[in-house]
Amino acid sequence: MTSLPTQVHVGPPPTEEEPAPAPARAPRGWWQQHGALAGIAFVLPMFALFVLFRFLPFLGGFGLAFANVDLGGEITFAGMANFQYMIHDQLFWKALTVTLLYSVIVVPLVIVVSIGLALLVRRGTRSMRIFRSVFFLPVITSLVLAGVVFIWIFGDGGPVPSLMSVFGLDTGSWLTNSALALPAVAIVAAWSRFGFDMLVVLARLNEIPRELEEAALVDGASAWQRFRHLTLPQLRSVVFFLAVIETITSFQVFDAIYIMTSGGPVNSTYTLGFMLYDQAFKFFNFGYSSAVSIVLFVIVLAFTLIQRFAFGRDDNG
Amino acid sequence: MASDISPALARRSGPGRILIPVVLAIAALITLFPFYTMLIMSFKPVTDLSFPNALIPTGLTTEAYRTVLGGNDMIRWITNTLIYSLVSVVLVLLLASMAGYAFAKKRFPGRNAMFWSFLAMLMVPYHITLIPTFVILSHMDGVSTYWGLIVPTLANAQATFLMRQFIYGIPDSLLEAARMDGASDLRIFFQLILPLCRPILATLGLFVFLWHWNDFLWPLVIGQEPEMRTLTTGIAGLMRESTPLNVTLAGSVVALVPIFLAYILAQRHFTEGVAMTGVKG
Repeated sequence: MTSLPTQVHVGPPPTEEEPAPAPARAPRGWWQQHGALAGIAFVLPMFALFVLFRFLPFLGGFGLAFANVDLGGEITFAGMANFQYMIHDQLFWKALTVTLLYSVIVVPLVIVVSIGLALLVRRGTRSMRIFRSVFFLPVITSLVLAGVVFIWIFGDGGPVPSLMSVFGLDTGSWLTNSALALPAVAIVAAWSRFGFDMLVVLARLNEIPRELEEAALVDGASAWQRFRHLTLPQLRSVVFFLAVIETITSFQVFDAIYIMTSGGPVNSTYTLGFMLYDQAFKFFNFGYSSAVSIVLFVIVLAFTLIQRFAFGRDDNG
Repeated sequence: MASDISPALARRSGPGRILIPVVLAIAALITLFPFYTMLIMSFKPVTDLSFPNALIPTGLTTEAYRTVLGGNDMIRWITNTLIYSLVSVVLVLLLASMAGYAFAKKRFPGRNAMFWSFLAMLMVPYHITLIPTFVILSHMDGVSTYWGLIVPTLANAQATFLMRQFIYGIPDSLLEAARMDGASDLRIFFQLILPLCRPILATLGLFVFLWHWNDFLWPLVIGQEPEMRTLTTGIAGLMRESTPLNVTLAGSVVALVPIFLAYILAQRHFTEGVAMTGVKG
């Protein structure tokens, strides 16, 4: 550990040799070792917070999934009852289906849009940089705040249904239409995410060697040929990375659903993320809600592991 | 940006020259349309809120702003959000850099196990711990209190990880030299490590602020009393109470202004934040 890395990157995990300053003296107990007590003192506040508010709730979540919590806060063991109920609960299967459907709409949508726009704003001219800034604005905007205006945009007589009726499609309000409410929320979610993904794609595009593409250009390859045979293969890993990240994000969608539809109409936007809130804080069914969250956790964990194994520690492919 | 495309490729010919700016302009208009709508409609009188007239910037009035800022609620929500965001930023940065310093530069028993357990928590979605955290907080009488709102969100694995990575890159020789001069650990941390971390603290701080400012689910769950509402839960409440749309939108605009100002002033940090594996909450 003498070299000075010039930039922050995902470095190696800590090893025993790494902070070298311990001078060679007679062996001592760990508490006498240089800085051991200070080290513990420095890490302790954050570690205590972790134990109390991350590890404990994480284990507690598994515990609650096998328990019933009554209104007085009394926790009683319930065995597999919550999961047995879940298997026969139409609402759970509905939520799982809605969540899958939502992901199937939003993930490809956001990836295609972000790759397309990344290719278009690739040149670093001033106007391109302005476009990049504009596309990033929704990323920093709370979907709760933006959701208010999207209700109007997709609502009865609003811009989107009016535009549709120009094409002869009488949709009415999208948010009260059980076939269109989920796509509406998905479009809003894509609006709020594509700027982020676009920057990730741009970072990858900037790593592709120029020479290749210039050579292809000299050889007379068309823009589409260059994209199809040169750029797209180079983007494969980043597309995979984004697909995993966006799937994980979309499985947990909550804010946009709560604001725009509250799970309706007729549960057509009732996602797993919304269900676990709804079961806990509307029906005060904390045990069942925790069981739903375990299912969500297993799905998300599966995708996270796929990503970790596919990329090692290099998140950007 | 130094690594942009070369002139040979930048020179577009044929349809691309016109098509690309047109496509980008349309995409930008779609992106900006909700913001435009929000802004214009928040200045419209309550009688003029239907499409398409609502989008035409005539007959503007500050009526909605006077209504929303006139009551005590909005001021209360702004105060709550500021307390939630600012206190969290200061404490997350402090505690994460302290832990990062220990993980990067100190040897103590259990360090590796602790570090890996922090990393493992990055894989656990926020929602999974929501209900149990609420149950713990309600047993600690933390529901509808500031500490109950703030303290659980301080356990930030991503921030700790990023601080450890950055401090890891600070040469040991610097720390040794300071130690030779008789500097204590506290002194080394506050007078050497923290100043060297300024760039990452700025970027990280901005993202922690953004995350707390926009946070919705946790304030919604823990802030059961109306006086504990933040801007997001407050405006969600306005909507549920069927407040006129121009008033709700005026509230949204007020809530967006600080974020947009921060974005304009510190855009570089936002883009860097994305590069740092995306600290977005």
